[in-house]
Amino acid sequence: MLPSFAYLRAASLDAAVQQLAAEGARVHAGGTDLIGCLRDEVFDATTVVSITELAELRGITRQPGGGLRIGALTTVAQVAADPHVRDQYPALAQAAGAVASPQLRYQGTIGGNICQRPRCWYFRGQFHCLRKGGDTCYALAGENHYHCILGGERCYIVHPSDTAPALVALGATVRIAGPGGTRTVPIEEFFVLPGTDVERETVLEQGEIVADVVLPQPQAGQRSSYRKVRGRGAWDFALAGVALRIVMTDGRVADARVVLSGAAPVPWRSHPTEDVIRGTALEPEVCKQAADAAMRDARPLKRNGYKIPLFRGVIEEALSTIRA
Amino acid sequence: MTKDASGSGAGKPRDAGRVSRRGFLGSLGTGAMTVAAAGAAGAEGPPQDPPVRAEELIKIALHLNGRREEVLVEARWSLSYVLRERLGLTGTKIGCERGECGACTVLIDGVPRYSCMTLAVETAGKRITTVEGLMRGEDLGPTQQAFLEEDAFQCGYCTSGQIMAVEGMLGANADPSIEDVRLGVSGNLCRCGAYAHIFKAAQRAAVLKHEAGGAS
Amino acid sequence: MTDRPDDRYWEEGLDVPETAAPQGDPDPWGTTDVVGKPLPRVDAYERVSGSAVYPSDLSLPRMLYGAILRCPHAHATVRSVDLTAAAALPGVHAVMSGFGPFDSVLAPHRELLQEQLFANPCLYEGEAVAAVAADSPYIAADALRAIRVEYEVHPFVADERHALDPEAPQVHQSGNRVSEPNRYARGNVERGFAEANVVLEQQYRTECEIHTPMELHGAVAKWDGDALTIWESTQGVFAVQSQVASALAMPLSRVRVIGHYMGGGFGSKLQAGKYTLISALLSKQAACPVKLFLTREETYLAVGNRPPTNMRLKAGIKRDGTLTALDFWGLGSGGAYRAGGTSALDFLIRDLYLCPNVRCETTDVYMNAGPARPFRAPGHPQAAWALEQMLDALANEVGMDPVELRLRNVPTVSQARGDTPYTTTGFAACLREGAEAFGWRDAVVRVAEQPRDAVIRRGVGMAGAMWVAGGGGPPSTAIVKVFSDGSVNLNLGASDIGTGTKTVMAMVVAEELGVDPDAIQIEHADTGTTPYATSSGGSKTVPTESPAVRAAALDAKEQLIAMAAEQLEADATTLRLSGGRVVSSSDPERALAVTELRGLRARGTVTGIGYRGPNPAGKAVNPFAAQFCEVEVNTRTGEVRVLRFLGAHDSGRVMNLLTYQNQVVGGVTMGIGFGMTEVRILDVDQTGKMVNRNWHDYKIPTALDVPADVTCVPIDQPDAEANTTGSKGIGEPATIPTAAALANAVYHATGVRMTDTTIDPARLVAALDAGRKGE
Repeated sequence: MLPSFAYLRAASLDAAVQQLAAEGARVHAGGTDLIGCLRDEVFDATTVVSITELAELRGITRQPGGGLRIGALTTVAQVAADPHVRDQYPALAQAAGAVASPQLRYQGTIGGNICQRPRCWYFRGQFHCLRKGGDTCYALAGENHYHCILGGERCYIVHPSDTAPALVALGATVRIAGPGGTRTVPIEEFFVLPGTDVERETVLEQGEIVADVVLPQPQAGQRSSYRKVRGRGAWDFALAGVALRIVMTDGRVADARVVLSGAAPVPWRSHPTEDVIRGTALEPEVCKQAADAAMRDARPLKRNGYKIPLFRGVIEEALSTIRA
Repeated sequence: MTKDASGSGAGKPRDAGRVSRRGFLGSLGTGAMTVAAAGAAGAEGPPQDPPVRAEELIKIALHLNGRREEVLVEARWSLSYVLRERLGLTGTKIGCERGECGACTVLIDGVPRYSCMTLAVETAGKRITTVEGLMRGEDLGPTQQAFLEEDAFQCGYCTSGQIMAVEGMLGANADPSIEDVRLGVSGNLCRCGAYAHIFKAAQRAAVLKHEAGGAS
Repeated sequence: MTDRPDDRYWEEGLDVPETAAPQGDPDPWGTTDVVGKPLPRVDAYERVSGSAVYPSDLSLPRMLYGAILRCPHAHATVRSVDLTAAAALPGVHAVMSGFGPFDSVLAPHRELLQEQLFANPCLYEGEAVAAVAADSPYIAADALRAIRVEYEVHPFVADERHALDPEAPQVHQSGNRVSEPNRYARGNVERGFAEANVVLEQQYRTECEIHTPMELHGAVAKWDGDALTIWESTQGVFAVQSQVASALAMPLSRVRVIGHYMGGGFGSKLQAGKYTLISALLSKQAACPVKLFLTREETYLAVGNRPPTNMRLKAGIKRDGTLTALDFWGLGSGGAYRAGGTSALDFLIRDLYLCPNVRCETTDVYMNAGPARPFRAPGHPQAAWALEQMLDALANEVGMDPVELRLRNVPTVSQARGDTPYTTTGFAACLREGAEAFGWRDAVVRVAEQPRDAVIRRGVGMAGAMWVAGGGGPPSTAIVKVFSDGSVNLNLGASDIGTGTKTVMAMVVAEELGVDPDAIQIEHADTGTTPYATSSGGSKTVPTESPAVRAAALDAKEQLIAMAAEQLEADATTLRLSGGRVVSSSDPERALAVTELRGLRARGTVTGIGYRGPNPAGKAVNPFAAQFCEVEVNTRTGEVRVLRFLGAHDSGRVMNLLTYQNQVVGGVTMGIGFGMTEVRILDVDQTGKMVNRNWHDYKIPTALDVPADVTCVPIDQPDAEANTTGSKGIGEPATIPTAAALANAVYHATGVRMTDTTIDPARLVAALDAGRKGE
């Protein structure tokens, strides 16, 4: 049962960011993550600012110069079902389709999906952990089955989003609205590692919200995919996942992005894997080597050593599949 | 549904759509909080600025099972709470209150949603359908009938949610494959484990709807 | 299992009345008109329309909402509880804790509050510390947040495998052993192993599983002066009544418990909860009805689980497949209190297969975790996990088909009960007919023909099972009322926990009285208006209640026929009841509609009363099963798809084919969860707290985790000796062999033996990886 909070529904984006600049103000888009966090007392809200009326933040539109703009309030279900996204950006459609459950996909938004708070059970539970302003990361010495093997420092969450790694692979940019106007950030620079700031996952400042996500026009010969392994068939975050964007020219990989989910506190771009596959025809042996390369720097915790063979397996499979 | 039209005893709203929660509860106890639909057809949703204070009640209008209902709610109240405990629509069940089981599934503007994870105030002006809304008078709707015929439940507690998920799925896809069905109800847990019968019921529901000429 | 039979766990701690004098046993049914047919449920309309009022749906005038504050530590002493701020919140009407204040309402219950409801020290996370009642659940939650508690936190043990370590913190002053190990032996296992050609030994572990029925645990309590009415989500209204009356020192007659609908229990709702008593006391204190349903998170901590189990099994076998010896050791924990941590754990080892030399030792230990409650076939899925994987491995070793190996060792007597004969055993039929219907032999060949280097690999597996109880027994009383218009009312005390009890009972009445089951109105599960019944659990409800119901229907029928005999001036033995008419067998022209019976019209109703007679002396009544499955394993990722399942079951007479099939579907689903997805995870090294107390982190199977293809093969063999309807239970046996069959199929697909639950991608990919490195 949620604690009480003040509430308003913003009539304009300007009004929303103004209200959100206040201490303790929280944004309500789809509300799925906000309500969960309030219920679990991960944080509290003095005022909930609903942006659900802001039509300008909704919908998928083709950009004049090519590419696609997806408003932050577009639901995950709409992204998954959009014919153009499915055709041109299959990684994103597949990732959106792999989110949570049908009901949550109908409610959750793309903006919320990339801004959702981590699912670490210490962070969500009754533990005053580092990310909540405490002085201990309980995951480090605790039940770290689902925690990170790459990029951890002081805090060992994994980034929970499925769409974020796909957007990173696809080279999206994020348009951010704030009290000082709007700014645009490549999505790769949108996420924050705990080594930089342990209390937040994105570069958003108080009062700022994601307005939309823009995907560049796909290059000729571009393929993309998202593959997710989870503990059960629905309503589950990635144990290991991989978003791929491969540009094939004359049967060879001209350009590649390989982004892991369930691996690190941010969607994790695996440059070693990209280096291995670039210039190859993704021969079976290359897929294997590329999968091994992804795990070269991995440092598992006590209970998540399985992630190494799992990532190897899922990367090898994803590369083999996208070749076909 | 019990309606309490004695709004006068509840203290006059200080301004549009606002009532002091404390005052209201103090004088009315926990009686039904529906206000007479005959009242002025005011705003469908809450005022936009300044914020409604935490202890204030907000008057919203729901389009619930084809009827307009004006309700006073706190901002923090979930739709499931309002449906069950304020309006007596207990066909919608509560299993987790955290958007993880689907027992509270209702249709909002035609799509299945978890009513426990939806603030009632956010549904102002939206079309809401609960399992009660699938009935035609006292007759079962086709999806309900299919669940009955296929014995698609045991304890029955997840059933309304499953039915609403199927209803939503069939709204988007009138001829689902078995895989479509599995995906469609994948947000609805059934601890008795009657899934295999639920799959059959969903496909049977599609047939019954076709037979009924597509009208649900 | 030495002192008392664990197959009566649903009565533990309860006074169970004696059986009434047995009535003359009727002949078994020959062909049946209604019983056995696939009929939709008599209460399906209510359940699909949303009109069924479950206890959690109830709303009463002036009703308040209760909530419980729980200890956040695995082991702590409560030093103080300050309720002042909570009590002062507008809308809060009652507050209580073990620290008072004890007003005139609570003072008489001071001991109950301090020693039981709010036990101190708190031995597990989730122990109740205080409670409130308020105008809304939101205000109740605000009030909980306003309560100030001082805890002194103690060291804890949250891993049962370390509970007996010398340095382990003591849960109770007496130590962490619940009792001396439970031992059983027959024959001589050393000699048995010496006679064997192959001896295998293996350790197994099954994780702690939580019931999580869809409807939360809880109750609504309402006082009318000295009389208390409770609507509870329960498997047994009489069990709740007896415990509430005893705890509050009230006469049974003043405690009315009603449980018409309930949203699942699986053993966790067999008896009253602390929440029942707390709701009653909050209601008394506030002088308003109180609805108290737990949150989902609370149900993960405080209302039961299937204990984590560690097992070691050594087995000997001859080349020809004859089992020569079984040596079993098990350790489990029912949590912080005596709660059956190893309850019925070794029964399958003792009884399922012919084996002259058997030794079992089980040890139950305390740990700082929530107490166990019976969970669908206590002990059995765990033991099946070990035994059925062991048989699979033995079959492999001696080069014998696993179905064949089991058939070689099918007993006709219950060896665990001193060679008492079973009334019936369909175990061999389950194995044979199940294998046949599954296409077992073909499937084995098909799997063997897969390319050796295939990444996606198929496998098939099977497992056998029986259930220690499932025969039911007295007491039970049922009442059938026939009204003057020929309509019928059935009155029985048992709860319908989703298994279709009401429907089966209506079918029994319909069979005897020749009326449509839909025409039978049922009153049930209300201690105020229905006769005594034991809780619905243990797969005993149908074999317990259906004979009593049949006897009641027969009693009513005899009275109707006697009335007709008088009116027709015919010999009663020549008359029969059919389609609402009493007809002469010799002269079909001589007939009377029931509505024409003068005696019935004069009296208004005819009331038949039926009692459950005793079970046959010197016989064991058990259901048997064999399940078969096919899986597909992605050897790169450890993902397992369950493609199909088949359950062949001997549960005596099939009473309703549709609900019977549904039980098998549900048992398989739950077994998939037990084997593949469900684990209680405690923060063993730091705080002892449960970290996955919700349905996202604790994963029960979704629609995408189970096969659409689940086939039920009933071995429809009425057990005439067991009871007068020939029925045995199906609920529990349906889930016992499932996980083991899956493990065997995964082995068949991959060559990797998963001896610990759960078979999820994380564990399987690690095992596959270790296997590859080991090669």
